[in-house]
Amino acid sequence: MSIIIDGKTKVLIQGITGKEGSFWAKHAKEYGTNIVAGVTPGKEGQEVDGIPVYHTVRRAAAEHKIEASLLVVPPRFAKGAIFEVLDAGIKIIVVTAEGIPLHEMLEVRRVALSMNALVIGGNSTGIISTGKAMMGFFPYWLERVYKPGRIGVMTRSGSLTNEVTAEIVKAGYGSSSVIAVGGDPVPFTRFVEILPLFEKDSETDAVVMIGEIGGTMEEEVAEAIEQGIFTKPLIGFMGGRTAPKGQKMGHAGAIITAGKGTVADKVEALTKAGALVADRPSMIGALLDQALKG
Amino acid sequence: MKLFEYQAKELFKEIGIPVPASTIISGVQELDKAIAEIGLPCVLKAQVLQGGRGKAGLVRFVRTQEEALAEGQRILEVTGKKLLVEAAVPFEREMYISITVDPFSGSALVMACLEGGVDIEQIARTMPEKIIREKVDTSLGLMPFQADNVMYALGLSGTAAKEGNKILLKLYKLFIKYDAELVEINPLMILKDGTMVAADGKFNLDDNALFKHPQFTLTREHYKNDVEFEAAQDGIPYIQFEGDIGMMVAGAGLANVVFDLVHYYGGTVANYLEFGGPNYHKAQKCMKMMLDAKPKAILIATFGTIARADVMAQGIVDAVKELKPEIPIVAVIRGTGEELAQELLRSVGLNPLNDTEEAVKKAIELVGGASK
Repeated sequence: MSIIIDGKTKVLIQGITGKEGSFWAKHAKEYGTNIVAGVTPGKEGQEVDGIPVYHTVRRAAAEHKIEASLLVVPPRFAKGAIFEVLDAGIKIIVVTAEGIPLHEMLEVRRVALSMNALVIGGNSTGIISTGKAMMGFFPYWLERVYKPGRIGVMTRSGSLTNEVTAEIVKAGYGSSSVIAVGGDPVPFTRFVEILPLFEKDSETDAVVMIGEIGGTMEEEVAEAIEQGIFTKPLIGFMGGRTAPKGQKMGHAGAIITAGKGTVADKVEALTKAGALVADRPSMIGALLDQALKG
Repeated sequence: MKLFEYQAKELFKEIGIPVPASTIISGVQELDKAIAEIGLPCVLKAQVLQGGRGKAGLVRFVRTQEEALAEGQRILEVTGKKLLVEAAVPFEREMYISITVDPFSGSALVMACLEGGVDIEQIARTMPEKIIREKVDTSLGLMPFQADNVMYALGLSGTAAKEGNKILLKLYKLFIKYDAELVEINPLMILKDGTMVAADGKFNLDDNALFKHPQFTLTREHYKNDVEFEAAQDGIPYIQFEGDIGMMVAGAGLANVVFDLVHYYGGTVANYLEFGGPNYHKAQKCMKMMLDAKPKAILIATFGTIARADVMAQGIVDAVKELKPEIPIVAVIRGTGEELAQELLRSVGLNPLNDTEEAVKKAIELVGGASK
């Protein structure tokens, strides 16, 4: 198993003829992802690495059974592309675009909630079920970073994910699925909504959560642990412990406001709930040993 | 992008939210005329973006001409920014009102409190029940009954409740029209007759939606110094600090952690520079910018996927050849294209490391060890 996707999931790529779209379509296919179609308006009839391209999602969906869509489109077109794929009845969507306007993020989040769709992102590097399939951008060819295993990873960052998954491999483990919920202030899917999937997955023994200052996603995870919604070991690592207050640090979502969102608050909530917290990336391996080997 | 108070008040005025009479000046020579126009007593307010202006002595209530001139001159000199000269308003009560976003439900969120004029973060921590909240479905907009919900829950009545309702509806229109992250009036003054006046204003625009509002541009006044301003023009996240180590990190998440690690191991940061994402081919420009901050060592860390290590390494090699920095460089470059990247770095005499924490410790050692 693994969560959300595996090698059988039928995947569409929106924006497949672009530079990034075609580059990652090729890699995803090589990795084992079942990419059945691509969409770029005006480009129907073309092929990208043998993958047929359609004008619209509706036209692609008429020819293929599609279960999930990866969006590699610029931020200004992201909202439209998300609604287009929801309109075609597809319920798993990964959004990589960074810089979607905030008010559009709100609309997407609300609609996704009401339709019970799993929209992941924006500003996400994607999702990977290690060794099986990926929707997004991962340097899977680096064995010391992406090795199949039994640790679930959920993250707000891209660069830091590679750093942490490398620590997981160094400690003798590997990842089942890595889910990048993205670095935006309004993630379309929150950590707490990914947790039940890892809870159910028989191939995931523990979860590493890569959090960050700002927002309340990590506190919600602590609450889910306290309520017994998630019962496997969880190791949290959060960036931005020493970030100056009120200063946006890189990710748009990484800002402490209205007395909420400090790493200290997150550490306190997680520790109280019984999760383990790593001060530094190099501690993650030892904490996994502690949680899984006693 | 944060607007200055005077800009926020221009928007309030435009939509019909009452603000005190005021005039904005840039230099001491305009002070006399401004005071004559507004009258005494009045309030002098530095147009700076950081909070805590009052405590820092950058907002002054002045009664006499002499006091106004002396204080006005002092504030202008301290800040080097614009000064708002504003009429003093006699009020009965102060309240807080704001609109921001609720990420969980995907709604706009109205917050209001009758303990205005004070630090709302403090109240959120100590007396959260005093803050009235109302979520707004942005596809429907804020409805008048919701504004009533807020005003009557606060305990307002009569003219004040009706005025508050009108002001909140107008504030919501501004929030939507200008794609705001946050609009806030604190304090919103309630006068004897129940009418209201916005005595302060915060207006944060969404950077991702600024393309829809070309009338607002980031100016030199938004930044602490020239370098931060220039970096922003190039789209490079850059923050200057006072410490030793110049950071060049690709990826926001990793940059935050490197920043933490430097402090964890007892070092200090000269600047925070992030050159991942769309900036990964700007290594040369980034290094040039960073050297201006005069760090004692440069620490480069990357673990990129799209931001290719070899491309970044080539930029670093070009920068080293051109700028010939005389300070040590510690580099830990991994991710897509890492073998070639490490080879490139070795070609200019750098010794690339493999581990972020090792690199941080090494950089601290090179600038003379931990400071605490």
